[in-house]
Amino acid sequence: MTEDVYAFALKTTLNEIQNVCPDITNTFMFKENGEIIAGDEDTPEKTMVRVVDSFDGILEKAEAIGGIEGITLEASKGRVYVSKVNDTYLVTVTSKKADIQYVNTVTRVLVPTVLKLLEKISPTPLKNTLQLPEAKLEEPEPIEETEELTEELTTEKLEEETVEPEIQPETPMNQLIVENLGGLLVPSDTVRIDREILSQWEELYEGKKIGEVEIETFDGKMTQCKVKPIKSSKYEGKGIIQMPEKIQSALEIKKGELVRVKPIIY
Amino acid sequence: MVKKKKSSKEIVTETEPLAIEEATPETKLRENLEEIKTYEGVIGYILRNSTSAAIDLKDPTKIIDYAILSSSALEASEELSELFNLGETHNIVVEGKDIKVLSLTVDENRISIFADKDVDFGKILKKLH
Repeated sequence: MTEDVYAFALKTTLNEIQNVCPDITNTFMFKENGEIIAGDEDTPEKTMVRVVDSFDGILEKAEAIGGIEGITLEASKGRVYVSKVNDTYLVTVTSKKADIQYVNTVTRVLVPTVLKLLEKISPTPLKNTLQLPEAKLEEPEPIEETEELTEELTTEKLEEETVEPEIQPETPMNQLIVENLGGLLVPSDTVRIDREILSQWEELYEGKKIGEVEIETFDGKMTQCKVKPIKSSKYEGKGIIQMPEKIQSALEIKKGELVRVKPIIY
Repeated sequence: MVKKKKSSKEIVTETEPLAIEEATPETKLRENLEEIKTYEGVIGYILRNSTSAAIDLKDPTKIIDYAILSSSALEASEELSELFNLGETHNIVVEGKDIKVLSLTVDENRISIFADKDVDFGKILKKLH
């Protein structure tokens, strides 16, 4: 099962939850390190990033209360529930009139079941930090899609007929949150990401050193630049990409926004 | 005659401020929080406003962590409410494995109550409103 299918399965589950409970207005899931796994089609990516950002302070001090199990926000027009499912958090926003028990039954049963099922079928995506190119599923190009489908079918047929000598690893893609990178000696053409992500990529490509990455914004703007591991422990393991101002302005993005990053292999 | 007038004024000025102090909503809030603290399972509270802050926790080693958690929860609640257009924030409950925290704003006062997991916050909320 590819990561695309994995993300698609979760996204479909979240959309179905909304169909079953129309009082649920938004749902999405994110990992402990802040990476967004999947979201329903009504919740913009930027909103999800801002929500995850707003939980930063709580999650940082979660140890003081033995780790977070759930968060409930009550407001005059609705509620927000955050529940922990394995190592992921499920965010559910409901209207004021929503039947809490029904919402809880659906979310606390359906989501863990799907997660369990997916982990049984394909345990990899939840256990590593490889991210899902979700927007690719959201932005299908109608004309090309049919071509791609026929191409895929032909390839599948060919694969069935001939035995492939070596399976090439699928290019991994991570969703990372932009953080400013400044200073006198900071090169303007280099971004910094988690050492762990770089190691995983290098492992995937049999030890090849990753020196460059391709960055893509959700508006479709792309750039290639050098990459180095994050120096400050403050930003480690948080799904952050430290980016000089020059690259940020080239991509027309700013701190707190989400970008897709993948390694460039020569 | 003059002496008598002076003494009556003095009495008036002495009693007036005392009466105002008793009626302050903040004083009442503090009294309520002190009572809440005696409830079974309640670990303590943090009360903050623009002029003062009061922290009363059974375990003083966790004061900083709890204070950050309290302000983070209240900030998150405001942010979430704005993002999802949920209107006025009533309260936010952060449940941990061992402890849970109820945070809310009453007038200008930002309050967080720390309690064991089995404590019912419904009774506490009634007391605070």
